[in-house]
Amino acid sequence: MDGRLRLFLLSALLVWACSGCAAWRKHEARVHEQRAARAAQKAQSAAGDTAPEQANAPPPVVVVPQVQRRTVKVPHIRSNNVELGAYYGMLSIQDFGTQPVQGLRADYHITEDFFFEASYGRANAGKTSFELLSGGIQLLSSAERRFTYYNLSLGYNVLPGEIFIGRKVAMTSALYLIGGIGSVKFAGDQDFTVNFGAGFRVLPTDWLSLHIDVQDLAFRTNIFTVYRLQNNLQATLGMSVFF
Amino acid sequence: MLALLLAVPMAPRPARAAPELLQLFVAQPYLELHTGPGRGYPVTQVVGRGESVDVLYRHTDWFKVRTERGIEGWASARDLSLTLLADGSHYVVNLGDLAGFRTHHWEGGVFSGAYQGATLVSAYGALSITDNLKVEVNASQYLGNISNGYLLGIGLAHVFVPEWRVSPFVTLGTGLQINEPKARLAAPIDHSDQLGYVGVGLRIYLTRRFFLRGEYRSNEIFTRTNANEVNKEWMAGFAFFY
Repeated sequence: MDGRLRLFLLSALLVWACSGCAAWRKHEARVHEQRAARAAQKAQSAAGDTAPEQANAPPPVVVVPQVQRRTVKVPHIRSNNVELGAYYGMLSIQDFGTQPVQGLRADYHITEDFFFEASYGRANAGKTSFELLSGGIQLLSSAERRFTYYNLSLGYNVLPGEIFIGRKVAMTSALYLIGGIGSVKFAGDQDFTVNFGAGFRVLPTDWLSLHIDVQDLAFRTNIFTVYRLQNNLQATLGMSVFF
Repeated sequence: MLALLLAVPMAPRPARAAPELLQLFVAQPYLELHTGPGRGYPVTQVVGRGESVDVLYRHTDWFKVRTERGIEGWASARDLSLTLLADGSHYVVNLGDLAGFRTHHWEGGVFSGAYQGATLVSAYGALSITDNLKVEVNASQYLGNISNGYLLGIGLAHVFVPEWRVSPFVTLGTGLQINEPKARLAAPIDHSDQLGYVGVGLRIYLTRRFFLRGEYRSNEIFTRTNANEVNKEWMAGFAFFY
């Protein structure tokens, strides 16, 4: 009995003594640190394994949007780059007098500066001085006197501006230079033509334009048996509508 | 019956549907409105950020617009490309630059050149199927000392690298040659023959919507005689795209 009591008391003394011993407390602290480090390492490795899954997983839904995005259908915007019209004026056919000329014009405005123009005109040539002085001699038949031409030209609005009528009316305008190529059918032959000149365009409204136009139609011909350059000056007034 | 007759003219006529206009919202500090479709025309109105304009119609690279206050003026395509649609997205405008040279709907041009020694006047138009492939139609007149005539053709053009400023292309097509010998020669005979052509050329971008185009073609004329003719043709000139 005494032995058992003595053993119990010695154990209690040992526990009490160890808990107060500095070396033991340090050892216990080290064990705690090692356990905490192991636990943290385990947690880190576990987190590393699950991170990609979490990245791929959809974000948690907090609010379900109920607003539908508005879709806008862009309507077609009408363009008025095409200009169709007619002109009338006088054409001086070299050696054959000055005669009325009429024609059709189609323009396509590419930029605010440049435009393409296709034109077709016709006139009836008069008589040469020789025919007038010689009496009844006719150098050309009436069909051969028909002067028809077409031109494909590039125009440049060199001086765009506005003109004013009174205090309230302003109309856009442009002085343009124009030049191109084409052909002339005259005196039973057809020849390559170069045309160049200048014109003035004024727009009373956005869909209507008025033109004053002066051009030279130059071509080489052998009407009088020898090839020579023939210059034919034309001055016209015209009206066109934009489409 | 009388009431019916009276009612018919008095019945309200169905309202004519107004054309649907594009509404754009100004996202830049302000949008300038000019008095005419050109950079030189004075700016008389500005539209502030957040306000909207209705687009009425277009003339080259300028748009006639109407403000919320009912004022009309011309805005440039470049300025309108900074505005927003009603859904908040940017309004996309084809500004006619190098990107447009690569991708566009159609193109056309006028050329001068030579066809078997005769002077050539030619015009063409082409519709883009893809950036590389185009369907072309062309009409030409040749004016020579011996004969005049017309060439009509339809074919395909393949542009190898459309994004290059200088881009080569090849053409292949068929058409018609209408020959008119000079009336002063003895026994003139007009005749038309079918032809096939193959060509090679260059497209050189200049500025805005313009480019130079030059092409050399070899035309195989399917004549009524035993032997076909091969007529050489070259042409160069201005072209534009839209």
